[in-house]
Amino acid sequence: MTGHATPRGRVWRFGNDVSGDDGIIEFAIIREGFGKAFDEDALRAMCFRRLRPEFPSEVRPGDIVVGGTNFAHHNHVEVSVAIRASGIAAVVVESCEAGFVRRALNTGLPVMICPGIAAAVADGEVIEADPAAGEVRLPSGRVLRARPFSERMVEIWRAGGVIPLLEREFAMRRAASD
Amino acid sequence: MSMSAQTVAQKIIARAAGRGAVEAGEYVTVTPDYTCCQELFWPGHKRNLERIGVDRIPRPDKAVMVIDHSTAAAMGSHHHETHRTLRDWCERQGIENFFGPGNGLRHQVLTERGFARPGTLIFSDEGNIASIGALGALNIPISTEVLVSLIQDENWLAVPPSARITLTGGLGFGVTARDVIQTILRDATPDGRLLQCCVEFDGPGLVELSLDDRQTLLASLFHSGAYTGVMEPDALALAYVAARAAGRPWHVVKADPGADYAARLTYDLGAIAPLVTVPPDAHGAVPVAEVAGTRIDQASIGSCAGGRLDDLRAAARILRGRRIASHVTLYVTPGSRGIYAEAAREGLLEILAEAGAAILAPGCTTCWGYQGVLNDGEVSISTQQFNYQGRNGSRSAHVFLGGPYVVAASAVAGRIVDPRPMLAEAGAA
Repeated sequence: MTGHATPRGRVWRFGNDVSGDDGIIEFAIIREGFGKAFDEDALRAMCFRRLRPEFPSEVRPGDIVVGGTNFAHHNHVEVSVAIRASGIAAVVVESCEAGFVRRALNTGLPVMICPGIAAAVADGEVIEADPAAGEVRLPSGRVLRARPFSERMVEIWRAGGVIPLLEREFAMRRAASD
Repeated sequence: MSMSAQTVAQKIIARAAGRGAVEAGEYVTVTPDYTCCQELFWPGHKRNLERIGVDRIPRPDKAVMVIDHSTAAAMGSHHHETHRTLRDWCERQGIENFFGPGNGLRHQVLTERGFARPGTLIFSDEGNIASIGALGALNIPISTEVLVSLIQDENWLAVPPSARITLTGGLGFGVTARDVIQTILRDATPDGRLLQCCVEFDGPGLVELSLDDRQTLLASLFHSGAYTGVMEPDALALAYVAARAAGRPWHVVKADPGADYAARLTYDLGAIAPLVTVPPDAHGAVPVAEVAGTRIDQASIGSCAGGRLDDLRAAARILRGRRIASHVTLYVTPGSRGIYAEAAREGLLEILAEAGAAILAPGCTTCWGYQGVLNDGEVSISTQQFNYQGRNGSRSAHVFLGGPYVVAASAVAGRIVDPRPMLAEAGAA
């Protein structure tokens, strides 16, 4: 499980206006499975393949996705699951809608909105993305600022998602009342 | 705490957070008035409830559970099981606000049954439920996280920045609210100026729009990346609420003078013409003349973007005494049971049926491809929300979007047409 340490990894760089449902994944396929448990293998196999056919086979655990403006617009939660299941440790974007940050975080995937990132990194470079500090550290030593996650967001991220966190909190609550 | 002037969203969120004021960008924990949830992801929610070990939810009276995506428990799907388990769970939890198949869209359940009232904060699973903002209620879309709000009666949010869109003038002949929101999406999506914002609408043009039209504007706003939207309720909105509130409280919220807006736009409604949004982008609107003549296989009227009474009235205005082209299938989906019944009383259903429409049970139906699935290469024009590839079946199908006049007129012609000549003829008859 990624998400515990501060993400540091190789960049996969994508452009502006990348659609979530019809770009990162394929809605026509995932729609059939709505309500069923996520088919992570199928999601991994389709993740980013339309934009970078080599992505599913060459992505490595801990890699970081860097996106442009309006990244992952129109995204069902399966988009986040697909990226996280591919081993991506963090997503850093120029801009995106607020819902993508929430959906991704709930699956344990931190999405940082970091203006300037698109022009600052090249594909394959190694960067560090620190959601708790709100900092993206570039190979040059330059640091780009993003809004730091709140305490609760960091807890959700470190727990690997909102469900594992709630599971732990409810277990502690039950133990305390016993 | 800063005493800066507050927007509508800031005021509603501050109240739900038990605070005097909040700042845009701040993270706060709020207690919602309601949490509204659809059925499609229910099996996953149920698995997670069991995994977390939740026995009872704290406020069953705040849960509004609606089956709107899979309105019929259709052959070949697993949704009949979802309907059963959701209904059973609601009964065990003492949730009275369970609305089964045929009640219609969450958007309409919230407005028509008096849940959405001025100043209320409602957690929901979709951004398009911003339509409830027409009554001064604030939709906070949290997707599958509705589960968190159901089991904790609170959740965090980042206070959105606000934007303001001022409408002046009035709609021209053959122009609908859908054309207005298509115009706004075309202009404001590419540069991201509404991204993450709560968009407040105001102005003399807004007052002239029906509540249905106002909901149409708000329901499609999220395509721009906006987080939500809201309108200060006027006399029309308050009368609607008063008739449905049944003693439940509300708080009319208005923005303070001098409140901060990240963006301000102004539109003269009279300058807007009928548009069609071409696939695959929701902001790809062009004048209808640019795509006129495109042969269609299917037309559909419905969804939270275009399935309200005014949409059906508009369609009927075109379709009265006409027949759809023989090669076209036309699906019409009233947005709710209430809209369905009123459309029957007004004789709209008769007009639509005689024109050749297939009338479906209230719900999302064709908008997510549950019904009206498209084959390779087929072309559809719809009042629905989405036009990206694969949304309605084949990835090589093409979905054009437009208002109810354009869609109904295109169904008659069998190709995309400017609806105004047919509408003028209908008016003269």
